[in-house]
Amino acid sequence: MEFLIGIIGKDFVLVAADTTAVISINIFKVDEDKSRDLNKHIIMLYSGEPGDAVNFAEYIQRNVRFYGIKNGIELNPKAAATFTRRELAQSLRSRKPYSVNVLIAGYDITKTTPHLYWIDYLGTSVEAPYVAHGYGAYYTTSFLDKHHHPDLTFEEAKILIKKCIDEIKHRLILNLPEFKIKVVDKDGIREVVI
Amino acid sequence: MPDPGSYNGGAVVAMTGKNCVAIASDKRIGIQMQTIGFEFSKVFPVTDKSYVGLPGLATDTQTLYANMYKLREEREIEPRTLSNMIASTLYEKRWGPFFVEPLVAGLDKNNQPFICGMDSIGCSTETCDFVVGGTSQENLYGICENEPEDLFETISQSLLCAVDRDCLAGWGAVVHVITPERVITRTLKARMD
Amino acid sequence: MDLFVNQFKDSYYADDVENLFNDEFDASKEFSLPILELPACENPVEFMKAHDFKFDHGTTTLAFKFHGGVVVCVDSRASSGSYIATHSVKKVIEINPYLLGTMAGGAADCMFWERELAAASKLLANIVYRYKGYGLSMGTMVTGWDKTVNSDGSRLKGDLFSVGSGSLFAYGVLDNGFDYDMSVQDALELGRRSVYHAAHRDSASGGTLNLYHVKESGWDFIGGYDFDDLHWEYQDQPKPRITENVQPMLNIQA
Repeated sequence: MEFLIGIIGKDFVLVAADTTAVISINIFKVDEDKSRDLNKHIIMLYSGEPGDAVNFAEYIQRNVRFYGIKNGIELNPKAAATFTRRELAQSLRSRKPYSVNVLIAGYDITKTTPHLYWIDYLGTSVEAPYVAHGYGAYYTTSFLDKHHHPDLTFEEAKILIKKCIDEIKHRLILNLPEFKIKVVDKDGIREVVI
Repeated sequence: MPDPGSYNGGAVVAMTGKNCVAIASDKRIGIQMQTIGFEFSKVFPVTDKSYVGLPGLATDTQTLYANMYKLREEREIEPRTLSNMIASTLYEKRWGPFFVEPLVAGLDKNNQPFICGMDSIGCSTETCDFVVGGTSQENLYGICENEPEDLFETISQSLLCAVDRDCLAGWGAVVHVITPERVITRTLKARMD
Repeated sequence: MDLFVNQFKDSYYADDVENLFNDEFDASKEFSLPILELPACENPVEFMKAHDFKFDHGTTTLAFKFHGGVVVCVDSRASSGSYIATHSVKKVIEINPYLLGTMAGGAADCMFWERELAAASKLLANIVYRYKGYGLSMGTMVTGWDKTVNSDGSRLKGDLFSVGSGSLFAYGVLDNGFDYDMSVQDALELGRRSVYHAAHRDSASGGTLNLYHVKESGWDFIGGYDFDDLHWEYQDQPKPRITENVQPMLNIQA
């Protein structure tokens, strides 16, 4: 029911998540931030079963942070995604698997490249230039297929993501009134207002 | 969740030639009928002269391949030994299997071609001509039944024809031809619908 | 007393089947359309389920109205499970020189009922409604007037519709490019583009793309385009940039 999206641009990743916290048929909250900063240059967006999602996100967050503290060097986005994937894959065959879908967006400061990973609750990890989780993915991926290109500027990406959000607000039966949009680039993670 | 074997889709085929083997895979990854990515090859190198194809549930494809790094030794593993190793790894999970049907292709120390395929719990079959796996299996069986003259041409055409009749595979393909001297890797354009 | 006994004589479903044709308003008799024989069993729906008939379901079809007429665009893949049965299905039924019907869902269902139709979509909706719950599978758009009829017997009038498994992908592109006042060329290109993107992402759609333009004087077949050719053609073009800020449109008519 929830919607997460990420778009890679020229030297940044723009991500957005809806902010509705739904339990059963009730909307509990419309300003929930469904993301955690794993370190200065990696952000994880999550959706899934309410308890699982936050628990898993914070478990990954603390482990990635701990790695940085212990080794004095931060994980790069690929490593963080691989770690997250493995945790989900291991959890899948446990007594109570996590039911969480995540996007991992990050900027690799040594290679100076943006990265975006789509990971589902099974632990399938896919790296792609633009990805989305949830029903909204159906409406937005085709649209991004048409307009996305590797040299996307920040301004263009903002328009694209706004269009995607508008499309979902119009077409999808679910009520997702608010979205939180963030950008990851060489300077770190910031919230973006459109 | 429906059949895990066809949840993500994908096709892999391996063939033998004269003193060479080839292994090829499509590049689609999807969730049932929805396509997610176009750069997801299911064939991975294990040594210089042996490759493994892991069609099936993508999470298990990735888990199993990650495990292979752990099993690396100081010496080159023979393809036959590799296939035995994968088979026993799979059988360890006899009652909670990885949903992949691995194919192994390689040249042994005498540069003799070796290909084999196995089911998800490690029952392997060594063949002398070709092995197939993934959602396009049935299609590939029909198409591969002819004598290869040019191995690259044969495996490419077989795979492309097979995925053209399969909803869940295609969107590009990659072919590795393993010869005693080197491995030739080529990506193929395929239908994108 | 008879009434009381009759209540238990036949099964619920057998009664239901009879009622299908004995209702006071019987569209199928009224317009002398064929009556379909149902399997001689208690419950035809369960019978069909039990025998697990595999029908073709995946499709992308779209139609939209703009100032220059109606654009109708469909794919041509027929799949059975994950097997692609053919790449050259005709999903637009040319009912008469002015009317087009599109097929999504069960190919046979759509083809049969639309061939018999040759009249307005209201009639089709009425007929299909008679068979509601019997497992008819069709999502059809009748253009000329541009309305859609679904297998539940619902009928919607609007400016812009897409039906089938790939329709969500098509909507994504269509909604953002749609403008009622666009030129004929732009409209045809938008239809083509929307179905192409749907076929690219939806596994159940593909093959060739068939494009129609319906005008006052009747419909025109614009062309058939192989999705493979279309893909590489679009890949070679620079991606269309978006700068202006247009809101996506829904089917709300003024």
